[in-house]
Amino acid sequence: MHFAFPPRKSSYSHPYAARSSRSPFLRRTRLPQYLGLFALGAFCLYFLFLRSPAPTKPPPGTPGAVVVTVIDPDLSKSYIEAIKDNRKDYAARHGYVTFFPNTTDYALGDSPKSWSTIPALRHAMTLYPHTSYFFYLTSTALIMNPSLSLHSHIMAPTRLESLTLTDIPVVPPDSVIKTFSHLRGDRIDFVMTQDQEGLAGGSLILRSGEWAKYFLDAWFDPLYRSYNFQKAEAHALEHIVQWHGTILAKLALVPQRILNSYTRDQSGRTDGIYVEGDFVANFHGCQRDENRNCEEEMQPLLSRWREIRDRERH
Amino acid sequence: MSLDRSPSPLRSGGWSSPGLTSPYEEANGTRSPGKRAAYGELNGSAQPGVTWGSARAKSARVNGYQQNGANGFIGRHYRKMSESLPSYFAHGGQEDRYGEKEKLGRGRTGWSGGGSSGGGGFLRWLGEIPRRLGLLLSRRRRGVAVFFLLVMVALLWFQKPLTAMWNHSALLGGGSKFVIILAANQGGGVMEWKGPREWAIERDSVKNKKKYAERWGYELDIVDMSTKKRYAHEWRESWEKVDVIRRAMVRYPHAEWFWWLDLNTFVMEPSYSLQQHIFNDLTTNTYRDINAYNPLHIQHPPNGTSGDPNAPKYANYLDPETLSPVGDGKPESVNLIIPQDCGGFNLGSFFVRRSAWTDRLLDIWWDPVFYEQKHMEWEHKEQDALEYIYTNQPWIRPHVAFIPQRKVNAFPNGACGDDRKVPEGGCSTLRLDQMEGKDHECGVQGIHYQESERDFVVNMAGCEWGRDCWGEMYNFRQLSNRLNRSRWERFKDWWSDEEAKKAKAKEEERKKDEEKAKV
Repeated sequence: MHFAFPPRKSSYSHPYAARSSRSPFLRRTRLPQYLGLFALGAFCLYFLFLRSPAPTKPPPGTPGAVVVTVIDPDLSKSYIEAIKDNRKDYAARHGYVTFFPNTTDYALGDSPKSWSTIPALRHAMTLYPHTSYFFYLTSTALIMNPSLSLHSHIMAPTRLESLTLTDIPVVPPDSVIKTFSHLRGDRIDFVMTQDQEGLAGGSLILRSGEWAKYFLDAWFDPLYRSYNFQKAEAHALEHIVQWHGTILAKLALVPQRILNSYTRDQSGRTDGIYVEGDFVANFHGCQRDENRNCEEEMQPLLSRWREIRDRERH
Repeated sequence: MSLDRSPSPLRSGGWSSPGLTSPYEEANGTRSPGKRAAYGELNGSAQPGVTWGSARAKSARVNGYQQNGANGFIGRHYRKMSESLPSYFAHGGQEDRYGEKEKLGRGRTGWSGGGSSGGGGFLRWLGEIPRRLGLLLSRRRRGVAVFFLLVMVALLWFQKPLTAMWNHSALLGGGSKFVIILAANQGGGVMEWKGPREWAIERDSVKNKKKYAERWGYELDIVDMSTKKRYAHEWRESWEKVDVIRRAMVRYPHAEWFWWLDLNTFVMEPSYSLQQHIFNDLTTNTYRDINAYNPLHIQHPPNGTSGDPNAPKYANYLDPETLSPVGDGKPESVNLIIPQDCGGFNLGSFFVRRSAWTDRLLDIWWDPVFYEQKHMEWEHKEQDALEYIYTNQPWIRPHVAFIPQRKVNAFPNGACGDDRKVPEGGCSTLRLDQMEGKDHECGVQGIHYQESERDFVVNMAGCEWGRDCWGEMYNFRQLSNRLNRSRWERFKDWWSDEEAKKAKAKEEERKKDEEKAKV
């Protein structure tokens, strides 16, 4: 049947007609939004946590530092025992360990025995790969204030920054190469002192890492050993520090009595002379000088150290 | 202009707004007479006695609009053209006026909000774009449109600047991470004068590297190595490699790898990128253990005693990473990549990466005590010094990788012995255990450039001693050009060869015929 007009429609349109078709569309679009948000969150987390990995913690049982003393087997037994005891006591107080290789343990060829310091330090780093500080102390020195820890006494960045002698000639009195004037404590890998003659290698602290390997290997280079530096490794050290910026940049010189007080100083200078309470007493030169006897010289301070040790133990 | 729309001619000719600048003049009634006259002059009206014609001419002179409209092809056809454009392109005065009249927007979907009133209308117009594009595509012209789109993309892509930008950018192509250091003018200056051949070599070599660097977006640092008395300690002369690399590192602070190239080198295959050729897969393209090919017989791994069997108990005091023949084995720890020739390290073409390790190496490389003791012995200067410190300072080894010489530094036949050739079918036909050896040019012992293997770079090392540098470079350039002809050039060459053959055949036939005729 045909009608003349189409059937009548309501003249009101549904006000929310569009809704029915739009809502699933919206729901559909939410998914990418959530995905986007999730991706953004993951990105932020990645940057927060993964990009700056927390410094890898050393495995438990890692000593905080290694005290290295290279021992000449020709010295008297009692002397060797005394200096070993001195270091062992210090290490035990702070959770450090000691390492006492002999000067003959490393193949030095014809170079003087004193060069064995360097492979000894490298060796200690191999034995304790996760330890951060390596404290080398010559066999002519005693630790006289065992209560001082390496970290709080010297290596803590703010402490180190306040101790560092900046802008002074590396080799006194008139080297044109001067220590850096702006060094951050946490970027210093090598701490030592100066005496009257130059860099005093009897007592030094090295922070382990790639730089330390580089420094020790460069220092131990056969061409330096064969060069006949007058004072062997000490002069080689002065040489590389002055000629190679990448080494100077990691070096901090601290006042002598912080790390390396001398018991006597031929030049008459007094600011490096040992005073009761100093960290280390170094009988500098007692081995080189034939008129001096290290063991005898050490006796008074050795008994003083024993007193300190026994007093604090009881 | 002070008008809210640009003056435009009516369809029937003449102006839509004869009193061009009068509103402006009124608005500036307070201006000084002199200035006012100037403005009047500029806008071409409002002076007593000015005719419509002269005002129009002046206005045209200023606007430069009517002038175009009055003469020239464009002018004559402008109106037609603008009428035939879609309405949203011709939103000049007329359409605006229609828009104003048709406030209700009857029948004008695209522009109904009134184009001149901005905001909402524009957005709606933007919204229209997909529909219009769809219309364009849905018609029978779809194929044509897609075709043109493709052509446009191709054109844009093969435009040099775009590909260069892509290749150069650190994120996309990564080309700016690489710097090519080209040592020009080696030994020049004080030591010797350059003749035309030397100049030609330099020109060719530089051009070759420039093209290569441009293609892949690398930085090219051409350094003048002429011997100058630049140092206080003058014995350091021509030991400048280290300083040059350091300077390049300062100059390109964002680059990562620095490729040293001597002047006597030639990039034979400019289509190889460094990334794809070497750096994407350092583990397979380089070798860490020098025992794989050790012409210097360096003891590796180092043991601190230089091979003494009666060494004392702590002889080997080094850490496991240093003692490992391959360092930590990760490609990220490689900081120096050097090729070895028959005589040891070759620094004619090598790579260093920016790192703390590299700073140290560059620092220790030259030392006055080493120099004093060895400078008579070390005739290859830095190269010998590097061999020395590699051998004697164990910290270096875990960060050095070696690269087969033919990959970055192939020699021409005659340097380092004679070409031993590759087996029939190329090196890839060899079994793995046959790969190394002295009887062919494959593997890490390969030395000489192999055309069939399409080696990357050739280094005419030592050509200045008794060989013909320019001749060698010329030949390699020609060879490179021939190997890298485009298809069109290949076709042309093939065609001309064929033509030549035909001509030759004809000639021979003719001769034969002549001989026959003689007989």
